[in-house]
Amino acid sequence: MASRPKLSGIQKQALALYRGFLRTARLKAPEERRRIESVVSAEFRGNARDVDRRNFVYIEYLLRRGKRQLEQLRNPDVTGLATLEAKK
Amino acid sequence: MASLAGSALSFARPVKAINIKSVSFSGLRKDNVAFRLQPVPQRFAVCCPAKKETVDQVCDIVKKQLALGDNTEVCGSSKFQDLGADSLDTVEIVMGLEEAFGISVEESSAQSIATVEDAANLIDDLVAAADAKSS
Repeated sequence: MASRPKLSGIQKQALALYRGFLRTARLKAPEERRRIESVVSAEFRGNARDVDRRNFVYIEYLLRRGKRQLEQLRNPDVTGLATLEAKK
Repeated sequence: MASLAGSALSFARPVKAINIKSVSFSGLRKDNVAFRLQPVPQRFAVCCPAKKETVDQVCDIVKKQLALGDNTEVCGSSKFQDLGADSLDTVEIVMGLEEAFGISVEESSAQSIATVEDAANLIDDLVAAADAKSS
C-alpha cells in the first residue's frame, strides 16, 4: 500500500461517523471524554479488524446503529456512556 | 542604494520559489541581514508554503498521536500512512490538530490530508482565514 487508495463511499461514511463521535466527545466532561474516546475507538478498531470488508449489509447496519447512538450522545443531558463486556 | 535595499526586503524571507531577482542582490547580502528583522508584509505570508513553526508543531502532534519514539523521523513530506497510521489514526490526528490550533476542518478537506505538509498548509490557510475574519 505505497500510495493511498481512494476511499469508498462506505469508508468515508465510517470515518465521518468516527469524526462525529470525537467531536461530540469534546463537549463532555474531560474524564468522561477520555472514556468515550476509548470506548468509541475500541469499537471502530475492533469492527475494522473483525468485520469482512465485503459484508456491506452488516457494515451498513453498524453505520445506522452508530448514527443513532451518536444522536443520543449529542443530547446535552447525556454525560457519558458505558459498555458491557459480553463473555463469548 | 536606498531603493535597492528597499526592493531587496521583499525577497529577504526564505521563499520556496526563489525569484531570479534575488540573485542580482547576492552581493548585498550583508545589507540584507539587517532587513530580516523587519516585519514581513502580510501579502507574502499568503503565497509562502506552510510556516516552519506550523510544520514543527504538526510533527509533534503526529508523533504524540501515533505514540512514535524519538528515534522516528517525522518531517514535512512524511506520509501518515508510512508512519504506520491507518485511516482512523488520520482522523484522530486531524481532530488533535483542530483542537491544538483552534480551527475547524471541513469534512471534505479533512479526507484529502495525507502528509504532514498537507496538514500544515491547510492549517495555515484556516488560521489566516480566521484572522482575516476577526480583524
